[in-house]
Amino acid sequence: MNHASNPQSTNRRVVRFDQSEIIIGLEVHVQLDTDSKLFCGCSTRFGGAANSQTCVVCTGMPGSLPVINQHALELSIRAGLSLNCQIAQSTKWDRKNYFYPDLPKGYQISQFDQPICGPGYLDIEAVENSSQPRRIRIERAHLEEDAGKSIHDESNRGQNSKIDLNRTGTPLLEIVTQPDLRSAAEAKSFLSELKLILNYIDVSDCNMQQGNLRCDANVNLHIPFGEEKIATPIVEIKNLNSFRAVERSITHEAQRQFEAWQENGFTIADAPKQTRGWNDHTQSTTLQREKEDSADYRYFPDPDLIAVKIEEVQIQQIKSQLGSLPSDLRKLLIERYNLKSADATVMVSQGRGVVNYFLEVADGCENSRIANNWIGQEVLRQLNESNQTIDQYPVSPQQFTELLKLVIAGTLDQTRGKEVLNEMVEHCISSQEAIKRLGIKPVDNRELVTLCEKLIAENQEVIEQIQSGNAKAIGMLIGQARKLNPNANPGLIKEMLSKMISS
Amino acid sequence: MSNSPEQPIAEQPIVNRIAKLARIHLDQQQLESSGNKLEQILDFVSQLEQVEISEDVSPFFGAIESVNAIREDQLTPSVSREKILDNAPESDGEFYLVPPVFRNTDS
Repeated sequence: MNHASNPQSTNRRVVRFDQSEIIIGLEVHVQLDTDSKLFCGCSTRFGGAANSQTCVVCTGMPGSLPVINQHALELSIRAGLSLNCQIAQSTKWDRKNYFYPDLPKGYQISQFDQPICGPGYLDIEAVENSSQPRRIRIERAHLEEDAGKSIHDESNRGQNSKIDLNRTGTPLLEIVTQPDLRSAAEAKSFLSELKLILNYIDVSDCNMQQGNLRCDANVNLHIPFGEEKIATPIVEIKNLNSFRAVERSITHEAQRQFEAWQENGFTIADAPKQTRGWNDHTQSTTLQREKEDSADYRYFPDPDLIAVKIEEVQIQQIKSQLGSLPSDLRKLLIERYNLKSADATVMVSQGRGVVNYFLEVADGCENSRIANNWIGQEVLRQLNESNQTIDQYPVSPQQFTELLKLVIAGTLDQTRGKEVLNEMVEHCISSQEAIKRLGIKPVDNRELVTLCEKLIAENQEVIEQIQSGNAKAIGMLIGQARKLNPNANPGLIKEMLSKMISS
Repeated sequence: MSNSPEQPIAEQPIVNRIAKLARIHLDQQQLESSGNKLEQILDFVSQLEQVEISEDVSPFFGAIESVNAIREDQLTPSVSREKILDNAPESDGEFYLVPPVFRNTDS
């Protein structure tokens, strides 16, 4: 049948893409920051020689028995609490059966009906000026083991695939959202906030290059069509290992679904859930398989593992150690330290260490605006250039406070202040030592007068320009003054010159 | 898994599906005999349905009633690569080798 000439299809052509709503749910796999694997004592370290970190348990040898890692449980509870999840009083593990060469047991130990974390939510900020902050509901988060890595022959000449089982058995927390996200930008914003939170609570470093945070996106469209709202078949996009891939693949997939619907008119009732893979090179999704229904995994309770009971005392103890979360700190910086929302967001996005540094300096110098300007610009730039973290920064918060006090008091102007900071960073010294090294000395008033008189005498042309209304020309004189005496305060010079020229 | 008494399990496509999921090949004769065996197992287990359980009994998932068998997050030595790869049908000394997962026909 030629769909294009079908009257229904002609009607479908009238609908515009921007009238449809994108419905997105995410499944995020986060590698928990433990030393050993989820069920055995093998190392979780990334980058070891292939198959050098395995044992009878994680390779699934007959007779071996898994024993759960206490720390993985704690980290899961910590993550659940930070996402406002209900923590299970009793949790158990199930076998999810499927065949793939990098899954040696023929099943993955996962959680089916009693996940460690139940419903919760995460609030995200507005992604555009016009939109609102959103509450994204979390359906559940469960603790499971990772599979190994397959290296496929990409020449397509039918060579064997190679399997490395080092990653097999590494603890993963799979966080599943409700389909509450409404745009690719919101999905990205959710992931950024999630990543930040997990960093703050030391659950995972979320290094995406190393695959410590992987994401699948379930996407479909709601399209207004006549009196009804049509839902397109749901597609799960796999292999999203960068925020950019998440954003682009969702945008691409939404467009593809819209065009497919215009073409064939298929709705959610006409087609099973599909799995499509995102290809970074072609920037498109391709069909992988029609999704097996849940029963095909033949979940059943793992008889090798017994249930874990979690006491309220334990939950409360973990809760008390969570510390402030990114959203609390943004609020604190805006309300108590008068930072602009955008500045607070940048500061908090740098991690807990930078925020603590800022708080100490802002409290010490009693000027949060200047502390924000200097840390937000100078310190972050220097850290970025030297590829260091704040813990490695050579200037302590106390020393930084001393420097800013001199800037606030006017003893050092901005430019000299930055020179002093650079000297402090380069030689790991205090502000006083840096000032001494740079030969910075206060200039007395008589010296300034002499300097200004000299400048006026030698720059008659500039003076005339200023007198004829070009006020900016005074900058040239200030520049010369700094060359003649770097210690001369440009503010004072400007004031004195203006007075002398106009009188 | 529900199973209507009128239709013996051996005649249902379910045996075939289970065999496929388990990656085992069964010929027609084996399909029938497996179906019969499965049926016997289900019959045997269905005796449990005669037990009366009050509603306040919660489901029980294991043979052991104890809970919280957990270990500290501590490293223990892994098995040497040479030794562990000895168990593999095929390896190159570094990796397990398996038949190609993606073939020309897939693309």
